Amino acid sequence: MKKIKTTKFLPFIFLSPFLILFGLFYIAPLIYGFYLSLFHQYGLRPPVFIGFKNYLQVFNDTNFWMSILNMTKFFLIQGSIMIGLALIFALYIDNQKNRFRGFFRMVYYIPFAIPTAISGILWGFMYSKSMSPFQSIFGIFGLHPDFLASNALFWSIINIVTWEWTGYNMIIIYSGLQSIPRELYEAAHIDGAKRFDIIRYVKIPLIIPSLILSIVFTVIGTFQIFNEPYVLESMTFISPHFTPNLYIYTTAFSYGNFNFAAAMAIVLALVTFAVSMIFMRFAGFKEE
Amino acid sequence: MNKKFVVVVLLALVFVLSVSMIFAQSSSIQLPKYNGPAVTLTFWSWVPGISNSIAKFEQAYPKIKINYVNVGANFTEYNKLLTALSAGSGAPDVAQIEYQVLPTFISYGGLVDLSKYGANNYKPLFVPWTWGQVSRGNAVYAIPQDTGPLALAYNKAIFEKYGLTVPKTWEEFLNDAKKLYKESKGQVYMTNFNAKGASNVNWLVGLFWAAGGHLWTYNGNTWTQTINSPINKRVINYWGKMVDNGYASTYEPFTSDWYNNLSNGKIASMISAAWLPLLLANNLSKQYAGQWRIVPLPYFAGEKPTSGNWGGSTDAVTIQSKHPEAAMIFALWLNANPLSTTLDNENGGLFPAAISGLKDPSMHNTSTKTDQFFGGQDVNQAFFNASNIVNVNFTWAPWANYFFNSLANYMNDAINGKMAWDQALDQLQTSTLNYAKNQGFNVK
Repeated sequence: MKKIKTTKFLPFIFLSPFLILFGLFYIAPLIYGFYLSLFHQYGLRPPVFIGFKNYLQVFNDTNFWMSILNMTKFFLIQGSIMIGLALIFALYIDNQKNRFRGFFRMVYYIPFAIPTAISGILWGFMYSKSMSPFQSIFGIFGLHPDFLASNALFWSIINIVTWEWTGYNMIIIYSGLQSIPRELYEAAHIDGAKRFDIIRYVKIPLIIPSLILSIVFTVIGTFQIFNEPYVLESMTFISPHFTPNLYIYTTAFSYGNFNFAAAMAIVLALVTFAVSMIFMRFAGFKEE
Repeated sequence: MNKKFVVVVLLALVFVLSVSMIFAQSSSIQLPKYNGPAVTLTFWSWVPGISNSIAKFEQAYPKIKINYVNVGANFTEYNKLLTALSAGSGAPDVAQIEYQVLPTFISYGGLVDLSKYGANNYKPLFVPWTWGQVSRGNAVYAIPQDTGPLALAYNKAIFEKYGLTVPKTWEEFLNDAKKLYKESKGQVYMTNFNAKGASNVNWLVGLFWAAGGHLWTYNGNTWTQTINSPINKRVINYWGKMVDNGYASTYEPFTSDWYNNLSNGKIASMISAAWLPLLLANNLSKQYAGQWRIVPLPYFAGEKPTSGNWGGSTDAVTIQSKHPEAAMIFALWLNANPLSTTLDNENGGLFPAAISGLKDPSMHNTSTKTDQFFGGQDVNQAFFNASNIVNVNFTWAPWANYFFNSLANYMNDAINGKMAWDQALDQLQTSTLNYAKNQGFNVK
């Protein structure tokens, strides 16, 4: 009798370390955030329940939607560049004849090992007009680019994010490539396929799931960009609604408007979820 | 002894006694004693060198120890303070808060009403308009520290090199700017348009103030917001012209780029509050040391010369303080004791709000590093003159923190040509009005 009882609860006992942490640090803040978003509180006065009024305000907030638009633009441009590069690098290191694949695999992956906040600061110094070692190199050609100027900032941050995440996406695609059975290459070879044909007709179609995975991760990651613009704030002027998360942060901690910030965070999560879903459905159609 | 001689001596004595009585008026009020247990207070402030005054305070009040932390200037500190107050812990006992954001913190409910500890007894020690800024009726929410009357600092050597006359009006300033641009082929700027950050745009509001413009008025019941009033638009369009034509650079102030360009003569003048000369003397290179001067702020021709205020701070006691009485005593001593105010003027460049501080003869000591940087000029006297023509009726709304963040954003857009300068004020008026209404304020 005792044995049956313990086996019933055994899975939960094994899962409990994860479940407790997941509950405390993931689920509980989510619920609290939703709870906060239903109230309005000014300063230290008692909070007032206002239902979904905050959400109505979010829909009317141009700054919030401008930041979403900004990140959509960011995703379309940066996402294409990054996934394109990741694909090229993955194909390169997948090529068995390449002697340096191990070296390049490491080199492309290293930026991912650096925390994004540090990357932001690193690139900030490289972009800075007074502290960058590259300014003197550019100076030789008579150029004095200001990478941190308002109109250049969008592209400068695209550069940082691409540098950070290409390696990560490359590994995802590479693992997809590695799982392609060798017989398919042999069969294609027999049919007279050259290297580029193999890439086009065998490799790429079979790694479409990996590509979709990369793209979905990129969508989610792009909407959540915060670290890079935040650490650059100390070096140049960044609009507080450059990204949705930056705007949520400013609303919460500069204006003390935690309730509205919570509502925006929930809306952001829903928008990210919707976009990912739409993309996956769209890509799912293509497979058939 | 000659009768005449005796009379003269007696008269002289009476004169000396009455004069000293006038001076003694303000110092006849004794600062409070502390009779409680030994405590440690946390103090947030960014005034340079304030630890010197703190050391003197600890000597005078051995039972009160001060844990001094500089968490950053202006909005860097205010964001932390606001968050700590909301969180219910982490706020200091005493915090430096400038006049323009004081209403935000009062309205937030984060500051202690010091009148219950007898703060009103010390009202006569301070310049009246500063006391008006820290009180609401009988309640007192902070102790005034310093003020920031505006004047113009200029590099005499650069002005002479390019044949510029010292401008009295804004029209003359613009003409100098045009001449400078032409003569230097656009290499030297007339001045810098401080922007890039909520902490860096208050000087512009000081200029609205000087021109007679207001942002907000309050009739006890409703707020009226006039960010895009004609006077303010006139000022912003003037500066728009300065920036768009390349007469004014747009460096972020208090950064190395800003200091470097002021040091090497690439920026010929700077709108200066009373606390700025010390920062210039301490941070600029020796290249033009002794060549800078202070003159009154320009005014629009045909109008009366007036000035505005840029900054100026108070020290407030937060509701999280476990020792509010000791905290008040500290804030009072720091800002009303002549020993402290003199040190703060020397080390921090603070232009005191305390009357005794203003009257202290050491304020006119021209051998200080600051005055020497300005060629031996009595810099404090120049700001005395400026403070006399500041219109003291200027009201700040409790949503000023939002206003400053937005102003910085719109100014950035205007600098980059994304919108017209006065249009920026229109947008700012609308968005700030919406924000205030959403927060529940009665404003139009």
